[in-house]
Amino acid sequence: MTRPFLSIRNIEKTYGRVVAVQDVSLDIAQGEFVTFLGPSGSGKSTTLYAIAGFLQPTRGDVLLGGKSLLSVPSNKRNIGMVFQRYTLFPHLSVADNVAFPLRVRRQPKAEIDAKVAAMLKLVRLETMADRMPAQMSGGQQQRVALARALAYDPPILLMDEPLSALDKKLREEIQIEIKRIHNETGVTILYVTHDQEEALRLSDRIALFNAGRIEQLGTGHDLYEKPASRFVAGFIGNSNFLHGKLSRSDRSITLPDGTAIQGVALDKVGPGQGDVSIMIRPDHFRLHNGEAAPRLVGTVTDTTYLGEYTQLTVLTAWGGALSVRLPPDDRASPVEKGQSIALTCAPLDVRAF
Amino acid sequence: MTTMTLTREAAVRAPRRMAGFWPTSPALMLLTVFFVAPVLGLLLRSVLEPQPGLQNYVEVFGSTTYLRVFVNTFVVATIVTVVTLMLAFPVAWFLAVAPRRWASLLFAVILLSMWTNLLTRTYAWMVLLQRTGIINKTLMGWGLIASPLPLINNLTGVTVGMTYIMLPFMVLPLQSTIRSLDPATFRAASLCGANRLQVFTRVFLPLAVPGIGAGVLMVFVMSLGYFVTPALLGGTSNMMLAELIAQLVQSLLNWGLAGAAALILLVVSLGIYAVQFRFFGFKAAGEVE
Repeated sequence: MTRPFLSIRNIEKTYGRVVAVQDVSLDIAQGEFVTFLGPSGSGKSTTLYAIAGFLQPTRGDVLLGGKSLLSVPSNKRNIGMVFQRYTLFPHLSVADNVAFPLRVRRQPKAEIDAKVAAMLKLVRLETMADRMPAQMSGGQQQRVALARALAYDPPILLMDEPLSALDKKLREEIQIEIKRIHNETGVTILYVTHDQEEALRLSDRIALFNAGRIEQLGTGHDLYEKPASRFVAGFIGNSNFLHGKLSRSDRSITLPDGTAIQGVALDKVGPGQGDVSIMIRPDHFRLHNGEAAPRLVGTVTDTTYLGEYTQLTVLTAWGGALSVRLPPDDRASPVEKGQSIALTCAPLDVRAF
Repeated sequence: MTTMTLTREAAVRAPRRMAGFWPTSPALMLLTVFFVAPVLGLLLRSVLEPQPGLQNYVEVFGSTTYLRVFVNTFVVATIVTVVTLMLAFPVAWFLAVAPRRWASLLFAVILLSMWTNLLTRTYAWMVLLQRTGIINKTLMGWGLIASPLPLINNLTGVTVGMTYIMLPFMVLPLQSTIRSLDPATFRAASLCGANRLQVFTRVFLPLAVPGIGAGVLMVFVMSLGYFVTPALLGGTSNMMLAELIAQLVQSLLNWGLAGAAALILLVVSLGIYAVQFRFFGFKAAGEVE
């Protein structure tokens, strides 16, 4: 990245003594799709609002193409935004809603008409130009909002949980639309969500927020496979957290029942030593088949067959419950409730924090 | 056969409908005896006195004196409605967006003034506005004016007094509409490139139309028939319709002419109501949720 397109530098926002955002820095390349992921109240929306100009950060700066945005009022920032709630103008038709940003810019009528037609085509609502927002479904309204936000060719499109009010099926449908529109227009998108699946599906990079800070920034693969902290590991995907003892010299981890996992990757277990928190993903477990690998014995307390995998709950010897996902090939010998089971996992998949 | 079934059904249904109706009868009777009957009586007298015919209406429409009263009534009602709207808009907006504590305080002030006796409030304005009142004395004390301003017994007095009385009737429907608007809509408009003025004229104002319609209707219709305030704060040269009716009944004992004037006022008020109802539906026609 030579010069970042959008640069968020040490943004901080405090309300009295409450710190909403703390030292958030992020560089975004042109055309990139970056998602702010995190639980509610983690500062992701606050950061987005600072970029939109709805609030002034206490400290820090936002640069677009090298120029600070902070002194520019919202209506001059030329940024597109789709909101969580339906914000179409209820007194205007779909076409008039999309034309609104062009009309306030006093563009010639012919240009506006052409652009509105092109935008409605982009979101595949050509036939609905004369509808009023109240006559449309939530999904359609958000697509119109998307068309309105892109009508003036903004360099950045902000999306603040735009799909959270929709049901799952519709959400996935519009995710595909958003992905397609991102590819077709090449607009830089900053997307806020608390849904990790949505983040993984859409983004080039994900900034995972926690308590007002970026906990980790990276691709979905990075966050899942190389979580930088226990929070990241717990937030992205399902995880089992166990207590264990790490010995750096032996490169081994000992579980509470004495099971030793040899040959762990030291770069994946953090700087700790001694008592650590160990993370193993449910899908990293396999059935032990007698090879010389760590052997973890437990009792199956629950099994759920889910087609692509079988979900097990396994009670370990020290009384902890493990979530285990067995792939289809291990399904041949069906695992039954109450059965004793021996599990193993690849030492390189084990992480510690 | 069919007829019989129908009759039987009707017979079964009718008592059930009546069952819900009967408890309201005392109230309806009271209204009939003390409200509907006198109004009808007055309206009837307009075509029966002094002899049957439309001569009262001919007189009302034919005389320039009465015509002037009509025109004046509409002028005053229009001025009061416009001034009230301009004053009420910022108040309603403040009520809708201000922190809860401030909003409820202001709300209490508005309601309190509404509950205070109308006559008391009008006399209070007389005290303030008269030649030797606080306003004139202060202005003269500061040397801003040499002689007292004519603030009472004219259009200024009527406008000030009536605007004050009408304010709550404009503020309440307006703030109910404004509060139902989503601030995110205005943020979206702003980010779309609209400046403050454009957000106001292109988004806020159109969305506030139902509230404006309801308030304007209520204030205008009430102003048309207002009596006490114009009588006390107005002058003889700008008499309003309600004053004229009172004078016709009390001083001239001309019930027929008074009835004709009353009918015209009633028809005009209902006409405005109907127009508003047609354009804005129930909500704007005074129904505030």
